[in-house]
Amino acid sequence: MSDNGLAETASLDRIRGWLEGPNTYGNSLPFWGAFVVGVVALAAYPQLVGVYTTIQSARYFALAFLALSLCFIWGYAGILSFGQVAFFGVAAYAFGIIGLNFSSATGIMAGLVGAVVVGTAAAAIVGYFMFYGGVRDTYVTIMTLVIALVLNTFMAQTAGSEWAIGAAQLGGFNGMDIPSLTLGVGQTGFELERAALYYTLLGALVVTYLGLRVLVNSRFGLTMVAIREDEARTETFGYNVPFVKLVVFTVGGALAAVGGVFYGSWGNYIDPTVFGIAFAALPVVWVSVGGRESLLGAIGATVLIERMRTELSSGIGPIGSEWALVIVGGLLLGVILFMPAGVVPTVADKIETFRARRSEKGQSTPPTEEAVE
Amino acid sequence: MITTPAVPLTASVYSLLAFFFQFLDSFGFIVLATVGLAIIFGMMGVINLAHGEFILIGVYGTALPYHAGVPLPAAMVVGVLVTTVFGVVIERTIVHRFYDRLLDSMVATWGLALIISQGLLIVFGSSLDSISTPLGNIGYGPFSSSIYSKIVLPLIALLVLGGLYLLFTRTNFGIKARATIEDPETARAMGIDTDRMYVATFAIGSALAGLTGALYAPALGSITPNRGSTFLVEAFVAVVVGGPSVIIGTLTASGVLGVFNAAGSILFGTFIGQMFLLMVAIVALRVLPSGISGYIDHWQQRRRADE
Amino acid sequence: MTHESISRRAVLGAGATALGMSVAGCSGDGGGGGGGGGGPTVGILEDRSGNFQLNGTSKWQATRLAIEEINESGGLLGEEIEIVDPDPQSDNSRYQELTERLILQDEVDALWAGYSSATREAIRPIINENDQLYFYTTQYEGGVCDSTIFPVGATARQQLGIVTPYLADEFGDDIYIIAADYNFGQLSGDWVNVLAQENGYNIVGEEYIPLSETDFSSVINRIQEADPDFIMSMLVGANHENFYNQRATNDMEDIPIGTSTAMAQGHEHIRYDPPALTNVYAGVSYMEELGDLREGENFVEDFYDRWEDANYLNQEAQNNYFSVYLWAEAVREAETFDQQEVISVLEEGQDISAPSGSLTLDGATHHMEHEMRVAEADEEHEISFTNNERIGPSFLRSEVEGGDGCDLREEDKTTQYVPSDVYDV
Repeated sequence: MSDNGLAETASLDRIRGWLEGPNTYGNSLPFWGAFVVGVVALAAYPQLVGVYTTIQSARYFALAFLALSLCFIWGYAGILSFGQVAFFGVAAYAFGIIGLNFSSATGIMAGLVGAVVVGTAAAAIVGYFMFYGGVRDTYVTIMTLVIALVLNTFMAQTAGSEWAIGAAQLGGFNGMDIPSLTLGVGQTGFELERAALYYTLLGALVVTYLGLRVLVNSRFGLTMVAIREDEARTETFGYNVPFVKLVVFTVGGALAAVGGVFYGSWGNYIDPTVFGIAFAALPVVWVSVGGRESLLGAIGATVLIERMRTELSSGIGPIGSEWALVIVGGLLLGVILFMPAGVVPTVADKIETFRARRSEKGQSTPPTEEAVE
Repeated sequence: MITTPAVPLTASVYSLLAFFFQFLDSFGFIVLATVGLAIIFGMMGVINLAHGEFILIGVYGTALPYHAGVPLPAAMVVGVLVTTVFGVVIERTIVHRFYDRLLDSMVATWGLALIISQGLLIVFGSSLDSISTPLGNIGYGPFSSSIYSKIVLPLIALLVLGGLYLLFTRTNFGIKARATIEDPETARAMGIDTDRMYVATFAIGSALAGLTGALYAPALGSITPNRGSTFLVEAFVAVVVGGPSVIIGTLTASGVLGVFNAAGSILFGTFIGQMFLLMVAIVALRVLPSGISGYIDHWQQRRRADE
Repeated sequence: MTHESISRRAVLGAGATALGMSVAGCSGDGGGGGGGGGGPTVGILEDRSGNFQLNGTSKWQATRLAIEEINESGGLLGEEIEIVDPDPQSDNSRYQELTERLILQDEVDALWAGYSSATREAIRPIINENDQLYFYTTQYEGGVCDSTIFPVGATARQQLGIVTPYLADEFGDDIYIIAADYNFGQLSGDWVNVLAQENGYNIVGEEYIPLSETDFSSVINRIQEADPDFIMSMLVGANHENFYNQRATNDMEDIPIGTSTAMAQGHEHIRYDPPALTNVYAGVSYMEELGDLREGENFVEDFYDRWEDANYLNQEAQNNYFSVYLWAEAVREAETFDQQEVISVLEEGQDISAPSGSLTLDGATHHMEHEMRVAEADEEHEISFTNNERIGPSFLRSEVEGGDGCDLREEDKTTQYVPSDVYDV
């Protein structure tokens, strides 16, 4: 190996060091190889399938941000929130309001930033309210759900023309139109639609995923897990637990907010059902099934479950559309009963055990004597 | 538009009476919606997110026999029985695995709720014929109020609470149950079959949910499979505001939430009444994170420590 | 080789990605060609499960009936019409996805979709982007002026316009309004106020109730104190039906109720015991009890022959039915399925003989001139019809835009007008 090669592997190792750790699955070179292959395949995907499937997949990517937001706060810090949709929806509405009032390309980009800021700030306020007030565990779950429902009831009656912020009518039950995400300056902009939106969301999702890996494997991530495992003990070690939870919840809110902007921009529409109990429970389903501690699992489960629900509209074989929610409920119940950690962690552990047992059987000498090369 | 009603009730003895009846209605509703959930939460710490669907099973269990010709009181008994049996089955197969995993129990029961409500939709269709509210009304001044929902049901609610109080303080079962709540390990060491306690408690909780469903079957109007959520939100809001003690918690939470809900509805309209309820819940959760009875416990302990 | 070099995670990662892609790719579209190439295709997106199953199933059944009838008598322009009708499950995100699919993949020549106004608004951006011909058939608040959308249901103005004056003439001028607290309810309340201004009625009370509310006792107390001559009720949804139940419990059936929402849609007069719906007067364009006003035709019988387990034939289902024939007529006249051509023909105006009477499509506004009626439920919940009047879409035709109206033949528009654009409400 030349000196250059050494340097390359060294920096590659350092990057891997950031990205890998005890809190994520997939800590090996083959994993990253498969990951790169997967991303390239997803990038090539729109070229292989029709416009409709591309549009549909973009929607799943937007929802994946919502799943990641819950996976981050629940899987790693133990905060089960039914209210992530509140920040998701607030950001979508905020994006719509800003975008409708300032319809230039700069305006819409400012809208993107502004909406994420609003959603994050909302999460920070709620987080402060809860964690500095000593609300914990199941009470957090209930309070977040109640907040979502309050928004639902409130927004549904904002139908009159007096419920307008500038040029943007809130629209009440009928919802609000939202402009498409646009990249550009001044009046000239490139509207992100169809394949363009797909690539933007794919890129954002990959970047977010990698960023979360780094965060979760860092010292901060270890603190989060410590809080999840034993909050009281972590506090005795001198960590400011309410503050950490606040930061975690705020980051979760930011993730949900980003997803909300993408989702609103995808359909050019948002309505109060985003705050309703049916939609609020979906992230819980995705993350429970995919794997609470697996970021990739959360993303994968979102795509697969939403895909299944869409296909059920036309019926899958003898299973009619009315079974859609029964299947979702059954999936949730089944996973929680038999694979409580979620699909990815459970399968990963099973493979681990299987390989460990196989390697034990294949050994006649103690491991230390096994050749390294 | 949040328009205040064009005719707020003019202050008079009669409108005070109207407010009082409205409060009784709210109070009775919240107590009955909550008590089944509160028992399970107080005893096992499990929040059964399928509670609304349990109540719904009580409704369907009453409505179906009624429309087949069974007189209403007997149909109500059927409703209670069906829900109790259902509850025991669910406890033995699903819930008992979650006594040490409380957050997971919420998720699992949520999945169960989806299955039940969609299952009812598939099997019984989008709506059952409704049952008219019995017993008519009582008139006073220009107003009238339904006897059933404003007098009978709140009375039953109080009786239920009273009965639970007697059960928990005067019976053998009650004492064992309270021991199990306090300290399951010690209780087991003293020979109490905690497993049986849990099943029995869940059965009582389910029976109470079934009772609520049966009682409200003629007061709901439409009987559709998504009515479970009518009860669920108020129930678990009341449970967390009330705190861990079943009787004191349910009583005080229903009282507080009922007053605000009734005041909002009477003075400003039903939208404000709903918002009041939800906002009071948020504030109460923040100010008293262990609920009202949790706060009372804490305060009593501090007083004892001071003495 | 050490344990670390081959990782189960690698297998997992690659496997998951591959699985996800293959499942996602299973949609069956190979880059472009949907059903558009061959014969005509129509899309029907009506809820057959979920919260709106009660209303949506009827609409789906009626639409299918109409298309099957056309196919049986030789098809359209000699070709058989293909139907694509997945179930949107009362979920607006489903509607959005399926609308995209029906337009981009199945390339439907006409679309019938959605029960609630929220659904219409959710898919409207997609409809507008693709200039899709879309029939919205539920009776609604009115005011939609959109180049490719044909809202053929009766508007609030039409429904309220037939029943409010009738009740005022019969019973007196003092009106108490109760309505669902969302767009449709609030706009309907505005329309009652407009009618009151135009005719000199007296609004003695006005209340908007959240969709999730089941308890109307405080509302009833306020109504009792206000003592109106009649109530105008635009309550919506399963939760609100309890009003009629509580009305019966409180012996209030002497106060007549005018409505644009009860009975014709959710058949409460069948599901509730008297006197819950006694003395309720619905302003309708059609109810199942009306039968079929065409000579020698029996729509209701044909419907139940085809759909034996059907619950009820509701007002909007009839709209679905005749709008299919409306479209078919326009296609025959245009001699093509091309959507823009068909729209141009429709915009010339169209007469149609429907079960509810001889109706006319007003080309400029894309709305119908309906034969409106008052349907009264008596002590046994028997329905009788009175006061038949033809009401056109006057709001869009001659009231908005300072009297110029909305003329979609002259200009492309995608807006919705509300009463407060023209009136002081």
